[in-house]
Amino acid sequence: MDIGGTFTDVVAYDERDGRYRVGKSPTTPDDLTRGALAALSPIAPRAEDVSFLVHGTTQGLNSLLQRRGARVLLLASTGAAQTYHIARGPRTRMYQLHYRKPEPLLPLRDIVHVNGRISAEGEEITRLDEDAVRRAAALFRRGGFTALAVGYLFSCANPAHELRTREVLREELGPEVAISLSHETANEWREYERTSSAVAESYIGPTIRGYLGRLGAALDERGVTAPLHVMQSSGGILTADSARDRPLQTLLSGPVGGTMGGVALAGQLGRPEVICVDMGGTSFDVSLVVDGKPDVVPEVRLDGLPMLMSAVNLHTIGAGGGSVAWVEAGGLRVGPRSAGATPGPACYAQGGESPTVTDANLVLGRIDGDRFAGGRLPLRTDLAERAVCALGARLGLGTSAMAEGICAVANARMAQAIRTITVARGIEPRDFTLVAFGGAGPMHAVFLADELGIGEVVVPRFPGAFSAWGMLQTQIRRDLSEPYFRHGADLDGAHMAGRLSELAEVGLGSLDSEGVPPHARRAEHAVDIRYAAQEYTLAVPLSHAGEPAEPGFLDLVSKRFGQVHESRYGHSNPGAPIEFVTLRTTAWGDLGHAEPERIPESHGPVAVQHERSVTFDGRAWDTAVLHREDLAAGHEFDGPALVVEDTATTVVPPGHRVTVDEFGSLLIQGVLA
Amino acid sequence: MTVDPVTVEIIRNALAAAAEDMNATLIRSAYTPVIYECGDCVVALLDERHRVLGQSAGLPIFLGNLEACTLATEQRFGREVWQPGDVWILNDSYLGGTHLNDVTIFGPVFAEQELAGFTATRAHWIDVGSKDPGGSMDSVTIFQEGLRLGPQKLVAAGQPVPGVLDTISTNVRFPYPTSGDLHAMIATINTGQQRLAEIVDRFGLAAVRAAREEIFAQTERLERAVVAAIPDGVYRAEGCLDNDGIDLATPIPVRLTITVSGDHMEFDLTESADQTEGPINCGAAQAVSACRVGYKLLVSPDVPGNGGSFRPMSVRVREGSVFGARPPAACQWYFSHLGLLIDLVAMALAPVLPERVAAASHGDSMIVQCSGTDPRTGREYVSLEATLGGWGAWQGSDGESALINNVNGSLKDMPIEVLETRFPLRITHYGMRPDSGGPGRWRGGNGVIREYVALHDCTLSLWFERSVTPAWGLFGGGGAQPPEVVVNPGRPDERRVLKVNGLRLHAGDVVRCMTGGGGGYGDPAEREGLAVLADIRDGVVTPEHAATVYPHADRAEQPEWQVDTVPDPVY
Repeated sequence: MDIGGTFTDVVAYDERDGRYRVGKSPTTPDDLTRGALAALSPIAPRAEDVSFLVHGTTQGLNSLLQRRGARVLLLASTGAAQTYHIARGPRTRMYQLHYRKPEPLLPLRDIVHVNGRISAEGEEITRLDEDAVRRAAALFRRGGFTALAVGYLFSCANPAHELRTREVLREELGPEVAISLSHETANEWREYERTSSAVAESYIGPTIRGYLGRLGAALDERGVTAPLHVMQSSGGILTADSARDRPLQTLLSGPVGGTMGGVALAGQLGRPEVICVDMGGTSFDVSLVVDGKPDVVPEVRLDGLPMLMSAVNLHTIGAGGGSVAWVEAGGLRVGPRSAGATPGPACYAQGGESPTVTDANLVLGRIDGDRFAGGRLPLRTDLAERAVCALGARLGLGTSAMAEGICAVANARMAQAIRTITVARGIEPRDFTLVAFGGAGPMHAVFLADELGIGEVVVPRFPGAFSAWGMLQTQIRRDLSEPYFRHGADLDGAHMAGRLSELAEVGLGSLDSEGVPPHARRAEHAVDIRYAAQEYTLAVPLSHAGEPAEPGFLDLVSKRFGQVHESRYGHSNPGAPIEFVTLRTTAWGDLGHAEPERIPESHGPVAVQHERSVTFDGRAWDTAVLHREDLAAGHEFDGPALVVEDTATTVVPPGHRVTVDEFGSLLIQGVLA
Repeated sequence: MTVDPVTVEIIRNALAAAAEDMNATLIRSAYTPVIYECGDCVVALLDERHRVLGQSAGLPIFLGNLEACTLATEQRFGREVWQPGDVWILNDSYLGGTHLNDVTIFGPVFAEQELAGFTATRAHWIDVGSKDPGGSMDSVTIFQEGLRLGPQKLVAAGQPVPGVLDTISTNVRFPYPTSGDLHAMIATINTGQQRLAEIVDRFGLAAVRAAREEIFAQTERLERAVVAAIPDGVYRAEGCLDNDGIDLATPIPVRLTITVSGDHMEFDLTESADQTEGPINCGAAQAVSACRVGYKLLVSPDVPGNGGSFRPMSVRVREGSVFGARPPAACQWYFSHLGLLIDLVAMALAPVLPERVAAASHGDSMIVQCSGTDPRTGREYVSLEATLGGWGAWQGSDGESALINNVNGSLKDMPIEVLETRFPLRITHYGMRPDSGGPGRWRGGNGVIREYVALHDCTLSLWFERSVTPAWGLFGGGGAQPPEVVVNPGRPDERRVLKVNGLRLHAGDVVRCMTGGGGGYGDPAEREGLAVLADIRDGVVTPEHAATVYPHADRAEQPEWQVDTVPDPVY
């Protein structure tokens, strides 16, 4: 289940017949469980039939973005208590004289300083002032706080003070009070980023826990006995019980499903390099699958606030169906402003007068106004035409040319954004396959691919519910880390191997509570390395926990780091001294996942429902309209064509050929004229 | 030829994206953190008349000064000097404007058999062979500041010019990373050449040129409309740098006169100080850039820069002044008076742009450099930090506290955990400096206090500025506190310093650095009582200070929790 801002999508995999079913229902913001159950019931009417349930939610993210989280009291080291507000002090918009930092999740007055200091080497310099902790507890009680976070200097080197602080707080406030310790939320150095992570975890924790509790109870009530799982930002899943302990990991839970779907599709198609584009009403998310793996980063920024957690690298661009076309100083502009859901595009007939990308598509005939969103929201072509025509009059363009111009500019902007992301990673987009999903993705995908010189576009089945589908394709994942600052020359390989083994033991052991049988568990290890005196690190994979103890390890890992550096930055520095910074272990648990469903083979030609006039390149084309559900494996047809389904429309311009593969994906390639 | 508005917009986006791609290439392939972490670099795509088609700046201060380099080259050698496959290098302060560490690499782009434009990039090199590693705080001539290259051909028709690379390598302290950065910069201009050629290929040179004129015209229209709305008049502002770092007793005046006439404004810097012995001079190109930053902050903060930008403004610089350095003036710290100048632009125009300006900021980089040998490892180290400070308030908002100065862009402070792990130093206090922001209806942001303890003997160098002209307020708002640095506070050997080169510190010595705040905006008597109370509770303003500057506000409620103030040093 993907519980999004507007709709809740459910994809069900039937283990008996290997088929998928899709349900959709409006999200019910007052009580999300209602919308979720409404979408679930029609496709899984018998609760006892549900053997596995995973869902993604934007609950935590929304409470963070809307600043509706808990009132958090932060305990921080005396002498460095205001670090959370100093926030390292960069100005990210350089020509903005009226610059304000991202709004922190708590005011300065809600930070209490506690004496006690650990050195860089992890030795206690000053004892923890437990009286100060007790005074903080008293303040918590009378101050109306609902959660605590603790962020002490060098807790990553020695957590004793943070652990003792929790004991004292529990003595004072009872066992139920919510406390995040920075070294548990993010066991890495850099006090601001670690504290920011702990504060965010406390901030969203009560919302997430309350929500998971309600959803769990509602499912129980309906007789669903299968454990509830939650998608994590990293692309793995956890049981709801674990997610309650580590709510931070659920922050990007929703959109990440799409990337994991892209990973699964990459495997199915045998194409390991994939660019995933998810285009909806207001935003356009791009993520990469490189060598069959999601591009995962160890740190993300949400609303400007850093979070140290493994997360799929999603780039969001302000471009969507709702992007508004406007005139500035006599020139055409498209976006980044969006008409949003209200008033929405002009064709929604909710008072919007500015033409949007959706209006332009409607004018061009690329959307079937009657079948939009499964017919729930009929679109008014006349209003779209009026808005586009008015803009065209200001720029000296006819309605149709204006509409095509709006789409062309929007496509060019999206394509350039993708290119810049790939250039920054040293990737050539031509070598990739473009996977398009979301409501508007399949409408624009072929145009984006053509701009980027990408040879193949894939539109998966259920493109509107692809994130939910992706969630069924992933595994239990637990990430552990430990600071390990050493110059390369000072390496004690046996020691490093010992630490990794311990991390593996903890990580694999934690899979007990996830219900993973022992034979389905495995651990992956990596160490973050950098050239001496640089700040940024790269994760270098290790073959197993014992590898650092093997002879010649330092040379080997230096070379391996050089290779990773070369591919990331385009050069390496052979022979230069390296530094180890962080050890990372990921524990995986395979609960078995849904197999791809093969669709029936075609017997005979594609059924064309009707033809309609659609504008491409300034000319009206008679265009075949096909229904997605009529397509069978092996079907082939040429553009111009529209493939219509409830949640999306795939636009195939002239000069492109579509092949339907055995899993029902549309593979679209350019054909030479 | 005319081009339809859709094509114009697609070309406009493509040119901007080409610059982004160049920037991504540079950041991705640079060897030194000052480029790929601090973003001390800029890239630009220029047309055949040296006008900006697209650019991406890591530091605002680099805004629009790459064209000065291609233009200077053409003026010196003639237009026929541009040949396909050539790459040039230049770091001359008097041409490029900044210090010798900022190296510009550029080359012509040919399409359809003619000169279609240029691509250029500038980045900070960690060392160019100055008398002290990395640069000096007390140079008095450019000959102490390193290797100086005029426009010099580096690559001819795709082949390296023999000897040039060797000359560079033998004159810098870190040849390996330096040559890595040089090659990254060449890769960057190649990316730009490729992208520009692709755009010309797709649309045709004539269409790109026609679109370019329309794009410039759009930007010019936007900016002229803003300038035209400013009442005609002569607007002045002035301030002082503390000194030039050599003669510590003589302040250096910076005087700005802006004349607005119709839809044009002139920035006149000619009354500013003569060039100085110490290294606070810059070339005229950099003075132009700083005026452009000040202009952009007020006129067009959201409009991407291109050849139509800045048409409604001009700059007058006097040769032989701190803004128009003549050889052999020292230029290593070329930016301190530029930061002041940018604040002065807002001060001058405040009477007529009250809703766009802001009061002054703390204004400079506030550099702390420690060096020595780390006894834990036996390795030599140099720690170099810029210190955050307060920014000015504006109509409707308090100024931001603890923010990097304008000239340093998006630089971050160094985490205590990183600093203490890497260097034998301890931070005993890092927090906001209460009361340092100027009072006002909207108050200025606070500076910070950052206190170091030397765990072993080491050497300290400092460059703290703006004590003579600390951040001023606007419209009745008060001024901010100036920076202060106290070595060994409360001890018999306590001393106050702001600029110092190579001061010996012994184990246990304490250095308490305090940066200035930002200025306030509007009469403090109009500040809401609740806001004053909130400031007291947050420890932003002390109750005593509030009693003085906000006597109208109710201060009955004291902070519920003891604010984190500077403790006794921990040894």
